[in-house]
Amino acid sequence: MSSKADAIISTDEKPLTYDEVNRTVLRMLDTPTWRWYLLLFINLCLVGVGAFSWTRQILRGIGESGKSHPSMWGVYITTFVFWVGIAHSGTLISAVLYLFRAKFRMPIYRLAEAMTVFAVLTAGLFPLIHMGRVWFFYWLMPYPNQRALWPNFKSPLLWDVFAVSTYLTISSTFFIVGLIPDIAVARDGAKSGFRKLLYGVTSLGWTGNHKQWKHYTSAYLFFAALATPLVVSVHSVVSWDFAMSIVPGWHATIFPPYFVAGAIFSGVAMVITLIIPIRAIFGLERIVEPKHFDAMCKLILLTSSVLFYAYVTEFYTAWFSNNPYERAQFYYRPFGDQAIAFWGMMFCNCFAPLVLWYKPLRTNLVFLFIMSIIINIGMWLERFNIIVQSLAHEYIPYSWGLYNFSWVDVGIILGSFGWFGMWMTLFIKFFPAVSITEIKEILPAPRRRAQVGHH
Amino acid sequence: MASTKNYRAVVGVFSYIDDALEAIKRARLEKLDFRVYSPVPHHELEDATMPKKSPVRFFTILGAITGLVSGFALAILTSLDYPLRVSAKPIAAVPSFIVVGFECTILFGGLATFLGLVSLCRLPDVFRKLGFDPRFTQDKFGVVIGCPGEQVDDVVAGLREIGADEVQVRDGI
Repeated sequence: MSSKADAIISTDEKPLTYDEVNRTVLRMLDTPTWRWYLLLFINLCLVGVGAFSWTRQILRGIGESGKSHPSMWGVYITTFVFWVGIAHSGTLISAVLYLFRAKFRMPIYRLAEAMTVFAVLTAGLFPLIHMGRVWFFYWLMPYPNQRALWPNFKSPLLWDVFAVSTYLTISSTFFIVGLIPDIAVARDGAKSGFRKLLYGVTSLGWTGNHKQWKHYTSAYLFFAALATPLVVSVHSVVSWDFAMSIVPGWHATIFPPYFVAGAIFSGVAMVITLIIPIRAIFGLERIVEPKHFDAMCKLILLTSSVLFYAYVTEFYTAWFSNNPYERAQFYYRPFGDQAIAFWGMMFCNCFAPLVLWYKPLRTNLVFLFIMSIIINIGMWLERFNIIVQSLAHEYIPYSWGLYNFSWVDVGIILGSFGWFGMWMTLFIKFFPAVSITEIKEILPAPRRRAQVGHH
Repeated sequence: MASTKNYRAVVGVFSYIDDALEAIKRARLEKLDFRVYSPVPHHELEDATMPKKSPVRFFTILGAITGLVSGFALAILTSLDYPLRVSAKPIAAVPSFIVVGFECTILFGGLATFLGLVSLCRLPDVFRKLGFDPRFTQDKFGVVIGCPGEQVDDVVAGLREIGADEVQVRDGI
């Protein structure tokens, strides 16, 4: 039953076999075509643009970016929060949905985890980029020094250092642990010497004996349990970078749930942006089915509603507080100089996703691809709104001013997308981007005799 | 106990999980050592081979507790060493340090779990691949039974009768 090579076109009634899952996913690791090289080249070009811009900024100073009085945090922190948010969704899909035993996560969670790790790698660059004197970055770390200095542990910026570093470490570990059995599958199916060596080393000699599986399933459960509070806490800590200040528009207790919901929203959209082309190019139609997209769209609808509610709450709180500065800020956002960012955000995050209530659109992949890009633009604009708009219109007129975009800003943002894209492009070609083992786990095990009764 | 010099490993390659379970059951009845390879974890295989809980959880809890203590210790002791008065908070402001303590708990807990996994699974596994066949990660189940030389034929016959696709006999403990 299982190991015959079948050239028959599969129908929906014919269930997936272990062999088919192996072959479909391992086919993704075949020798790359010119298209893959082209994609890698485009990403490397973008990285080059980013590197050039950053070098210029290091040599000439932070004034090369758009940051100046009063917007002391500009698009770099916006993009930082954007990438950290995207990262959180990957851990939600892989760890949190694992604990909830949601089957729809199976084909997408490996890609989501990869997205997490690479997004955190990208986000981690921005605290360095937005520092003028990058060479002093190590001052953020608690290390014994001859000036007897220690960092300020009461500052949310330092909590952020611990939170994002922990998140990077734990997500990478979780990712690697999940990959080990799949790399072993790739190792045992590999033909070329280089691949056998690469997979032999990275699979750590995994054989899948009963003891290994026992410890593995236990450890995986604990990783999922540890990573789950990270999803909530790390983005809450990032939100506290703003909420723990007294800037009007920032000092709000709604920030942690607002940011976490926004993170999941943008992350699921990014997963959709990635998986639609990958599914089409690598022929994963039997593994990533329309019902998975339907489930992801429902998550999008949920988080979009939470976000809409959070925006309304912010406005309501500002009005109800009778605080003139808070009210001024929330008048400035929709009707001030930078209002286009606000209305763009409202359209992309709140109004556009409403069409997903209509079921046929939830499984229309072209529409979903465009919608996911719209959502990500909207989420970047949301962070821009929060950060730049608040800083542009603080308490007194001296603190009012516009943000001046510079080409260095744009170059670095493009570079960050290129950096993320580069890692994803390399990953999908060298390591299994779909979890072979877990998909096989949800298939019924091959039995000679039909199972009588259920466990 | 008979000397182990004559020990052989009989490897049964199975396509179906119920055959593999039957082979495990028989190996248990005959009180023979066995090892089972499978492409996926399965609760029936787990119940048949290792019903007790895995000790990974001890690594996790110890790591988490170490992390909690270390996180708070780092924040409190460094605050006392370099006292900074920040917005009328006490020098060692424990509520402010909850985030640092929590993150260190998760960090150390996760790393300890990874260490526990790697050490209990004996990874990197270079020398212990007894009876392993590359098909066991693809789609076949493997039951490797260790027995003295005299019993090899019986074991081979038993595995064939259960429905093994292939039975190999290898040296080794």
